[in-house]
Amino acid sequence: MGARVLKVARAVDWVMRLRRPAAVLVVLTLLLALPAGAAGPIAHREVLPNGIVLLVAERPAVPIVVVRTFAHAGAVLDPPDRAGLANLTGALLTRGTAKHTGPQLDSAIEFVGGSLSAGAGRDGLGASLAVLKKDLGLGLDLLAEVLLTPTFPPDELKRKVAQIQAAIKRSEEDPGTVAGRALARLVFPRHPYGVPVEGTIESVGKLTRDDVVRFHGGHVRPDTTVVAVVGAITVDDARREVLARLGGWKAPAEPPASVPTVAAGGPPQTETIEKDLTQATIVLGRQAIRQTDPDYFPLTVASYVLGGGSASRLYSRVREEGGLAYAVYSHVSPAKYGASFSVSAQTRTAEVPKVIEIMREELARMTRDPVTERELKLAKDYLIGSFPLRLDTSAKVADFVVAVEEQGLGLDYADRYKERVAKVTAADVQRVAAKYFAPDSFNRVVVGAPPKP
Amino acid sequence: MRAFLVALVLLVLAAGGAAAQSGERVLAATLENGLRVLLQEDHRSPIVSFQMWYRVGSRNEARGATGIAHFLEHMMFKGTPTHGQGQFARLVEQNGGQDNAFTSQDVTSYYVNIAADRIDLVIELESDRMHNLKLDAKDIASEREVVIEERRTRTEDDPGGFLGEEVSSIAFRSHPYGAPIIGFMEDIKRITPEEIRAFYKTYYMPSNAILVAVGDFKAPEVLAKIRAKFGKIPRGATPPPVLAVEPPQNGERRVVVAKQAQLPIVYVGYHVPNQTSADAFPLEMLSTILSEGRASRLYKRLVYERQLALEAGGDYNYFSQDPNLFWFWATPMPGQTAEAMEKALLAEMETLKKEPVTDEELQRAKNQVEATFVFQEDSVHRRAALLARFELIGVYADKDRFLERLRAVTAADVQRVARAYFADDRKNVGVLLPRP
Repeated sequence: MGARVLKVARAVDWVMRLRRPAAVLVVLTLLLALPAGAAGPIAHREVLPNGIVLLVAERPAVPIVVVRTFAHAGAVLDPPDRAGLANLTGALLTRGTAKHTGPQLDSAIEFVGGSLSAGAGRDGLGASLAVLKKDLGLGLDLLAEVLLTPTFPPDELKRKVAQIQAAIKRSEEDPGTVAGRALARLVFPRHPYGVPVEGTIESVGKLTRDDVVRFHGGHVRPDTTVVAVVGAITVDDARREVLARLGGWKAPAEPPASVPTVAAGGPPQTETIEKDLTQATIVLGRQAIRQTDPDYFPLTVASYVLGGGSASRLYSRVREEGGLAYAVYSHVSPAKYGASFSVSAQTRTAEVPKVIEIMREELARMTRDPVTERELKLAKDYLIGSFPLRLDTSAKVADFVVAVEEQGLGLDYADRYKERVAKVTAADVQRVAAKYFAPDSFNRVVVGAPPKP
Repeated sequence: MRAFLVALVLLVLAAGGAAAQSGERVLAATLENGLRVLLQEDHRSPIVSFQMWYRVGSRNEARGATGIAHFLEHMMFKGTPTHGQGQFARLVEQNGGQDNAFTSQDVTSYYVNIAADRIDLVIELESDRMHNLKLDAKDIASEREVVIEERRTRTEDDPGGFLGEEVSSIAFRSHPYGAPIIGFMEDIKRITPEEIRAFYKTYYMPSNAILVAVGDFKAPEVLAKIRAKFGKIPRGATPPPVLAVEPPQNGERRVVVAKQAQLPIVYVGYHVPNQTSADAFPLEMLSTILSEGRASRLYKRLVYERQLALEAGGDYNYFSQDPNLFWFWATPMPGQTAEAMEKALLAEMETLKKEPVTDEELQRAKNQVEATFVFQEDSVHRRAALLARFELIGVYADKDRFLERLRAVTAADVQRVARAYFADDRKNVGVLLPRP
C-alpha cells in the first residue's frame, strides 16, 4: 500500500459497505453540517490588516499542515447568464500563475508528496493545501500564487471547459446527482442555489476568459477571505508565514458583492425523470432554516429522529422492516443564504409508491405526535456525544473552522450547539416538525423507469 | 474510478495517508483461543477506533452462494440473544459512536469509532456478536431485500460497477475472485438461512480474526478487558483453506457491455503476482507513478496533454491474499471512441516496456508514498486499519519494512515488471458502449 492502496479511487468497487453516508444522495449541501459542541475555543482568530480572517488550530503531534482558504466568491455570484463561472474560475486557479504553468505547479507540489487544489462551491471559492511541515514554505508560496496571480491561460481554459462539460454529461448517469439537481431547482426557484454550481453544458460553453478574469478580480479578495491553518504550527508562525505571502494583497475599491437570501419557494412541485434503471431515486425536499434560527436545533434533532441514523424511523421502517431500500435518509443542509431539508431513498421501481407513502406518513407523524423520550435522548446523545469524532483530524478541523467563520456563527458555535441541542424538548421537536415537515409542503423528484403496468 | 468527478463539494483534501513508524509502539498479543490483538495508544484525542477484521471475504465463497460473506456482514447488525434487533446501532449511537462495516474479496471488517471511555461497550458488543449471532430467518428475509437493493445501486444501475463485474468474470475461471463481492442476483435471492448460519460458524471465531484498537486508552488495561470478554469464546475449527489457483490464460480475453450510459468506459486487467512476490514493490510503485495526482503519467498524458480521457488510471492491490489483477481504467472524452481510448492506454503500456520511467517520476512516487504514511498518522481510524492490513498478509510490523522495500525500487525494476506482466496472455479487456 503505497499511496494508491489507501486511496478510494479504484477501477472497481473493492469493498461493499454496510451503509453509505447520507450526503451521497443529496447534492444540495455545500459545506458540512455542523457538528456538536466543543469545549473551549477551537481555533485562534484574528483579522489581518488587509481584512483576511486568519484561523489557526495547533495540532502539533503529526508533522503535517493543512491550509484552507475560502473567499465569498461562490456560484451564488454567477451572473444569471453565466452559470458555472465561479466553478470554472476556481478550477483554473491551479492551471497557471505568473511564475508557473499548471503542470509545473502539479509537479512542484506532488514532488514533495503534498497536494494543492482549488475550486468553488455554492457560497465560496477556495484553495486547499496539505503538506508535510517541512514543505510548508513551498506549499504556501504556491497557494499564494494560485490565489493572487493566476493567469488563466486560454488553452487551459479551453481544456477545462471541455472537462467540465464531459463531467456534467457523465454525471447524468448518476441518479442521485440528477435528482439533486432537479430538486435544487424546485426548492430554490428564483435563487442561484437552484442552479448547479458547475453550470450546464451550454452555459459553460459560453464562458470566456474575460468573464473569468473579471470574476476573479472582483470577488476573490482579501476582505472576504478566510484562511485556516491547522496542524504542526504555532499561531505566531502561521501569522508570519501567511502575512509574508498574503499581507500585500489589496482589496479592489468596489465593495464586495452582496447576495440575496433565498426567497420563499413556490408551490411544491413533482417531477419525474425517466431513466432505464432497475431502481428509482426518490427525493422529497423543501426550504428550511439555517443555524442562526433558534429553531435550527430542534430541526436537527427532528431530522435525526426521522432519518438521521440507523435507529431512525425511516431507516427502521423502510430498510430494517420493509427491506425496501439500501439507502434512506433525511438531511438538513444549511448554507449561507438559505437552507433545505430533504428526505431521500432508492428503491426498486415497483415500490416507489409505497416508499413515498411511508416517507409522507413518517413526516406527518412527526408533526402530529411528540417523539418519545427514548428517541429524543438517543438523538441528543448522538449529536452531542459524537462531537470529538468530527474533529479528529487536521483536515476536519480546518473544514469546521472555515464553515463556522464563513457562516457567521462564531468560534464558540460548537459550545452553543451543544447547549442548544441539550435543551431541545419533545414539544420543540413537534412544533418545528409542524412547521417544516408537512408532507404536502415538499417538492418531489423521482428518477427512474416508469412503473410497469 | 470516479476520482475526478466534478467537485460539487468545495474543499477536497487530496492526500490519503499511511502510518509511519512514529508514535507509541504496538502491544501485540495472541489469546489462547487464537484471537490476534493489536493495540496502539494515541492520546491526542479522547477517542478510539476499534476494529474487528475477519479473514473471510468473497474469496471464501462457493459457486452458487456468492455474496454470502457480504450478506452475513449485514446480518451482524441484527442482534444476539443479549443484544436484540437494532441494539447494536442504537447503543453505538447513543454513546456518540459511529460504526460501519465492509466486505472485500479477502476480508470482512467492522469498526466503531467512539469516545475512548466507551471502549467497554464495544468490547462487549463485538465479543457477543462474534459467537452469539441470532441469524433469525425473518431477519434474513428482510435483509435479503436490502442487499438486493444494494446490488441494484452498485451494479445493475451503475455502468462502471457492471463492467467491473464482467471483466472480473472473464479474468478468473477457477479462482473465486471472478465472482462479485456482493454476489450474483440469483445467489442473493437463493442463499438459505442454514447456509448463512454454517458460514458464520465456519469463519467467525477468534482464531480467524484480528482485533485492532488505536486511541486514548492504556493498552495493558484494554488487553485485560479483551481477554476477559473474548477469551471465553472457543477457538473453533480452522476454516478450510482456499485452494483454487487461477490457471494461465492464453491470449487476450475481452467482454463488451452495452448499457444505458453517457460515456464509454475501458477497463484492462492484467494478471499479476501479489505481495508474496518481490515484484509487488515495483508494481506498487508503478501504480503510484501512473495514477497519483495530476502529475502522474496517465493523467498527464491522456487527460491533460492529449485530452483523450475524462479520467484514466492504473491500480494495484498490494494486499491481495491471492494473485489478482492490475487494473487500468479510462473514460474517453465525448467524441472519442472506446477503441481509440483503449489504443492510447495500450500505447502507454508499450512505452512503459520500452523506456524506463524518469528519475523524477520515480522519486516523486517515492516521496508521495512516504508523505502518505505521515498523513495517515493524523487519523486513529486509518492507523488502526493500516496495522490490520499488514497483519492480514503477515505481521503488522512489516509496514516499516514496506517503505524500505519501496525506496529500493529502481526504474529498471519498473520496466522489468511492465514487460513481464503487461502481456496479452495476462490481459482482460472490458469495454462499455453506451446505449442511449
